[in-house]
Amino acid sequence: MRDIRFSKVFRIGFAGLAVFFCACGSEIESEGREEHPLPEGVDVVERPPGVAGDIFTGTSAGTPATFNPLVAEDATSSDAIQRLLSGLTRFDPVKDEVVPSLAESWEISEDGRSFTFHLRRGVRWSDGEPFTADDVIFTFDAIYDERYPNRMQMEFSVGGEPFEVEKIDDYTVRITTAEIYAPFLLYIGTAILPKHKLYEAYENGTLLRAWTISTASRTPREIVGTGPFRIRSFRPAQRMIYEPNPHYWRADQEGRRLPYVDFFIERFVQDQNATMVAFASGQSDHQAITPDQVAWIRRNAELHDYTVSDRGPSTSTSFIWFNQNPGSNENGTPFVEPHKLKWFTDQRFRQAISYGIDRQGLIDGVIFGRGEPLWSSISPANRQWHNPDVKQYPYDPERARELLEAAGFERRADGNLYDAEGNRVTFSIITNEDNRLRANMATVFMENMKDLGIEVRLRLLDFSNFVNRIMESFNYEAGLLGFTGGRDPHGGMSIYSSGGRLHVWHPNQPEPATDWEARIDELMQMQLRTLDEDERREYFNEVQRIMSEQMPLIYLITPNIYEGLRNRWNNIDPPNMGSLIWNLDEIWAEKRLLR
Amino acid sequence: MTRRKGMFRQVLERPLGVVVLSVLGLFYLIALFADFLSPYETSDQDLQKTYHPPTAVFWDDGGLQVQRYELADPEVMGYAKIEGEGAPIQFFARGFEYRLLGLIPMDRHLFQVEAPDRIFLLGSDETGRDNFSRLLFGSRISLSIGLVGISIIMVFGFMIGGFAGYFGGFFDSVTMRFIELVMAIPGLYLLLVLRSTFPEHLSPAQTFFLIVLILSFLAWGGTARIIRGMTLSLRNRQFVLAAEVLGQSSWKIIWKHILPNVFSYLIVAASLSIPGFILGEAALSFLGLGIQEPSASWGLMLSQAQDMKVFMLNFWWLLIPAAAIFVTVIAFNVLGDVLRDIVDPKQKFLNR
Repeated sequence: MRDIRFSKVFRIGFAGLAVFFCACGSEIESEGREEHPLPEGVDVVERPPGVAGDIFTGTSAGTPATFNPLVAEDATSSDAIQRLLSGLTRFDPVKDEVVPSLAESWEISEDGRSFTFHLRRGVRWSDGEPFTADDVIFTFDAIYDERYPNRMQMEFSVGGEPFEVEKIDDYTVRITTAEIYAPFLLYIGTAILPKHKLYEAYENGTLLRAWTISTASRTPREIVGTGPFRIRSFRPAQRMIYEPNPHYWRADQEGRRLPYVDFFIERFVQDQNATMVAFASGQSDHQAITPDQVAWIRRNAELHDYTVSDRGPSTSTSFIWFNQNPGSNENGTPFVEPHKLKWFTDQRFRQAISYGIDRQGLIDGVIFGRGEPLWSSISPANRQWHNPDVKQYPYDPERARELLEAAGFERRADGNLYDAEGNRVTFSIITNEDNRLRANMATVFMENMKDLGIEVRLRLLDFSNFVNRIMESFNYEAGLLGFTGGRDPHGGMSIYSSGGRLHVWHPNQPEPATDWEARIDELMQMQLRTLDEDERREYFNEVQRIMSEQMPLIYLITPNIYEGLRNRWNNIDPPNMGSLIWNLDEIWAEKRLLR
Repeated sequence: MTRRKGMFRQVLERPLGVVVLSVLGLFYLIALFADFLSPYETSDQDLQKTYHPPTAVFWDDGGLQVQRYELADPEVMGYAKIEGEGAPIQFFARGFEYRLLGLIPMDRHLFQVEAPDRIFLLGSDETGRDNFSRLLFGSRISLSIGLVGISIIMVFGFMIGGFAGYFGGFFDSVTMRFIELVMAIPGLYLLLVLRSTFPEHLSPAQTFFLIVLILSFLAWGGTARIIRGMTLSLRNRQFVLAAEVLGQSSWKIIWKHILPNVFSYLIVAASLSIPGFILGEAALSFLGLGIQEPSASWGLMLSQAQDMKVFMLNFWWLLIPAAAIFVTVIAFNVLGDVLRDIVDPKQKFLNR
């Protein structure tokens, strides 16, 4: 008898617990948001109004390193800062244009050098302090201050001259550039900093030490912004919780302040593998997925109610290049042996190599057919600037052999290739070891070259060592690398210009070494000094054409990008380029039902 | 000499000893003849056949045939058998050139399939390289690293431990303090630091030897200490004292009287420390610091299988190197235990 009663008690107890758990899981209580009146210059979004509430979760393989925009150089930190702070302008990837942000509107002077920004009225920082032109002036003072070296100093200057920033009144700012600076509006959307919070640090020279990750974990409310979110709590290497900024300046058509979600939670995990597992097991709402993992993640789509969408080719590039640097080190040893330099500077040699690479095989075999061969310096993902009419090098070993023969190379009976002076054609290629796809591209390249009678040796180096070799000591023969692609090709200035640091095949040239490099330099200067987009596109098309004919960088492939997103989110508007959740402040979820 | 022979015979008298010796013997034979046994080179790719499952073999037309497959589902690299179609396996056919045992130039292989068909006994990896061939070539590195390593350890351990124990005094304290210093540093971190000091342009063979050196550098201390302890007690025994009185040189005493007495310990210690080397190399390669592409080692192959899709799309054959490491390590440990039982019957580790 007693046993039975006991088990009954247990059963009731369990049922009670079950009800309790369900209640927890089904409805996530928001603590109720702070209510503040909307600012006078509120930005009313065009997308249909939604329902507030719910939590958006993501996982990330990296932790932000800082929340200070002057210090941030990595993608994870910049992404976090973008959620916390706004700029004068921002880029709308769906409209494909620069749209107002903290500046409500702007005028461009006749000569195209002076921009007058009218700021939104009544906007407040997340701690309730008003936002004015003083904050904008303060931000640019901080950027240009010699005590605080940062990467924006270079971006915000033209011909070595910084921009001139002046305050007209509390809600008007004028910025003047020394010469015409074509991508000005795109670049000017840098995060505006709060003067009332950071002025003290600016004055006593500690600005670069402000807003670190320990600020965020100890006193998250100290990091005030005008972005959609503020930090609720942050634990390095564990997780970060964002909550809506109660003073955000955007609202929907029903007058409800954005963002809709109650919380945005980002968990930090060990590596990329772990982020994919978290998404595929329903633990996160959104995840970027690499092409080789798509197939198995799609299998769980129904179970966890998500969709994995093909977002087309990635904006990043990958390429092999030869060291064409004719210089020598301080001991007088040339960086590249003279007879090898002769091969590397021969256009026909580079073209032959390009014909000899089986790009399609690499795509089909290694990334499951989910990618495209790359022919141009700008990925096809960037539809606005990509030039489809460049010279292409489909896999054709026969053609490669002909070109090599024409260039004086000879294939002897032993199957190996020799140059006109009887040197065996062999070189070593370096790349970084932590990138699996790159290592695969390198081994495929080695095998392809073996078919041409060329012996290639592969050296995998750690990243800093690799960068040191290609940027400082120049002690290498060939390399394999990739660049992440920006939106505006002006970002590739230091790649294309012969004096640039990232002109990897022969960097920092005082004078362009070849005619075609001189021509590219000229085109890059011409594109900078016109605001006419069609004219700029023409210049860039020519740059891409020259690059494809000369093959200083032998482009390989670009993998497709995939993104997974739970189906319950609304107001998703996929842009041509960039993340699906670019408008995180506008997305909302249906009320979750008990399952 | 007689003693060693006796030891070998005693191992063969025990069933467990026979099993592990034959397993290890087989493995080393395979490693020795890897280039003859494997149909492809380690770098040989076929981009049309990546992530290929192990190919089936069947009997038809009076000979062994390898099953043909087609790529049925490129989304998940799913291959399907083409029923009834096969390519004949040719035995002792010509393939890539090599030198048998490093001496005799040859191009004959145990078995081959005419291109474009391929035989993947253990499947293929992400660039369509034959997993079987890579496993065989990888065994050369993974198996020899232990042997080379313990030879270094044993020589150094015996020499330094023997001298320290025999002569004592200043030499003894200096070497023992140095050993303590090395042993006080956590092994894996020291390994990583030493690895990072390598020059960049090394051939795979040079990298291999430097890795062995590093691993031995970490491990010789323990052996040297124990040898020193044994020597300390041996040098006061009557036969050593007698030899000293008779005017034999120190070198001769160490060689003729002390070495034979610590030899059995050395043998046991050696067979027990081989797995440490194999695992050490695997760990280094797994972290991307050991053997590099396009050479193969078991650790490197495992690190390449460390990917969710291997589990989720069931590319199970890429995990075979783990089984190989497992079997080898177990075999050496069991061999060590058997040897210990023979040398020191009072301390029984295994129930027979």
